[in-house]
Amino acid sequence: MNEPSVVIRFDGNGRVYRPYEILSGEYRLESFSLGYIRAVEVSVLWYTEGKGDEDMAVHEFQRLSVDDGDWIDPNRPGRFSVALPNSPLSYDGVILKIRWCVRVRVFPRKGKQVVGQRLFVLGNVNAVEFVQP
Amino acid sequence: MSRTFRVYEKKRGHRRTGSGWLAGAGETLFFGLFFLAGCGGLVAILATLVVPEWRVNNEFVETTCVVRAKELVEREDDSGLVYRPEVAIEYLVDGKPREATTYDICGAYSSDRDAEQAALDQFEVGGRYPCWYDPREPGIAVLVCGYSWWTWLLLSIPVSFILIGGGGFLYRAWHWGKSAERRAAPGMGPIKLGKGKSSGDGRNAYPTIPPPADMANSPGTTLRFRLPIHSSATFGLIVLAAVCVFWNSVVAALLLDVIAGFRSGAPNWIETIVAAPLTAVGLVSIFIFVRQFLIATGVGPTLLEISDHPLYPQRKYDLFLSQAGRLRLQSLELSLIGTEEASYRQGTDTRTESKCVYRQSLFRRENFEIHGGVPLEARCELEVPDGIMHSFKSENNALHWSLVVDGKVTGWPDYQRSFPVVIYPEDSESANA
Repeated sequence: MNEPSVVIRFDGNGRVYRPYEILSGEYRLESFSLGYIRAVEVSVLWYTEGKGDEDMAVHEFQRLSVDDGDWIDPNRPGRFSVALPNSPLSYDGVILKIRWCVRVRVFPRKGKQVVGQRLFVLGNVNAVEFVQP
Repeated sequence: MSRTFRVYEKKRGHRRTGSGWLAGAGETLFFGLFFLAGCGGLVAILATLVVPEWRVNNEFVETTCVVRAKELVEREDDSGLVYRPEVAIEYLVDGKPREATTYDICGAYSSDRDAEQAALDQFEVGGRYPCWYDPREPGIAVLVCGYSWWTWLLLSIPVSFILIGGGGFLYRAWHWGKSAERRAAPGMGPIKLGKGKSSGDGRNAYPTIPPPADMANSPGTTLRFRLPIHSSATFGLIVLAAVCVFWNSVVAALLLDVIAGFRSGAPNWIETIVAAPLTAVGLVSIFIFVRQFLIATGVGPTLLEISDHPLYPQRKYDLFLSQAGRLRLQSLELSLIGTEEASYRQGTDTRTESKCVYRQSLFRRENFEIHGGVPLEARCELEVPDGIMHSFKSENNALHWSLVVDGKVTGWPDYQRSFPVVIYPEDSESANA
């Protein structure tokens, strides 16, 4: 049996998104059996990478929980759709990088959480290099 | 076994290996114990000090006693000898005589012998004085009533334990089992950078862009806004002077001692070895101070005005530069500079590193002279390039933009003056409209 995993797909095949555009897509929970999942969280968020400690902020968050009466069927893909914010734009700097992603976190009834994540690009910012001050 | 099991191992910043569950449980347990210790302390203080004092003032019955003997009792504790007055009294309860050796209800000792002796001297053997006895246990009586200020001060210790422990426990319990995204989601708990938090310009939410208000609240004389300088040279100079004077005073005292040792023929070599690097640091601080002093006093004020603010990509802005002083300059250059800044924790230290990632020269003039009273005045244009990153500020990371004036002065230290600006994302203004 395959390991449980999460596959995320964007409508429009993950092109570059502009501020205020709608990001939509779906996530599939693969190799999960019915009744195995306790909760699913879908987040659209940005986080930093690089030299500094990581910063992270969630733009959109949705939680489906069996305990709250939600029906979670791993055989049916879940959909998401969100209007993107104006900032921060995706950025590929020298000691700072800003990444946007859709992250799906699955809480099983037993065992470790399963996380799937797919990056996307917000805005059209050029990459930079170190320059002598 | 190629790798040992790691329960907890701290790495750089928040990144840790080991068991997150165990770390969370440990923190919850720690705060829980802190809270319980506070509760225990509070109960103990209430039971032994606060409630008995309250009962003396509200429930004890007043009567008259006769002093039969008195003594200043002393005992030794960790802080040395401590004292307390003790008075043997006789009093009547419902017609029956009672005896007690007492003073106050707390029975506390003090290291202030004179104060305790003065308290004892208020009572004369054979004299009659008011006293208060416990109606539940008439054998318990006191010669003074009222409240002790230090009892209430003592309460602050367990209360602070309860607040810190309880707060930490609730915080950990609230976060228990929640994902990082759920904790950071808007409206789901304490967040630092959530959706809808305004950047301060009052038009829309730019949670990660610093507010531009401070840079656009000073009108210019030639253009719309006069940009504020990054840091005041005078304030920096005063701080530098204070550090320089303090450090070199310490070094001077040390050096005098070292020299005295040499002159007496018994040099202290350890002191000499310690003094050498401290003296070097002192000399460097003097050099830096003199250099900054020359820049601050020799180079006149630099003013920079701009036609609009904040800035947007693909737009053009007029700039007006004014440089005063009496200078012969090898070059004077105005540039748009982008600097990344990253803060990270290493152990208990927080370090900040910055890297220049963008430089666009806007104005440059070489080999010229500025005469006193006639400042250099120059105009130039700034076109913010397409595809440039906007200003960004989060808890540990930032991208700052600034207009920087670099001056190379003949026979004088080079100087640099920085004027922060804020760049917004492309089209964000039209999108807001």
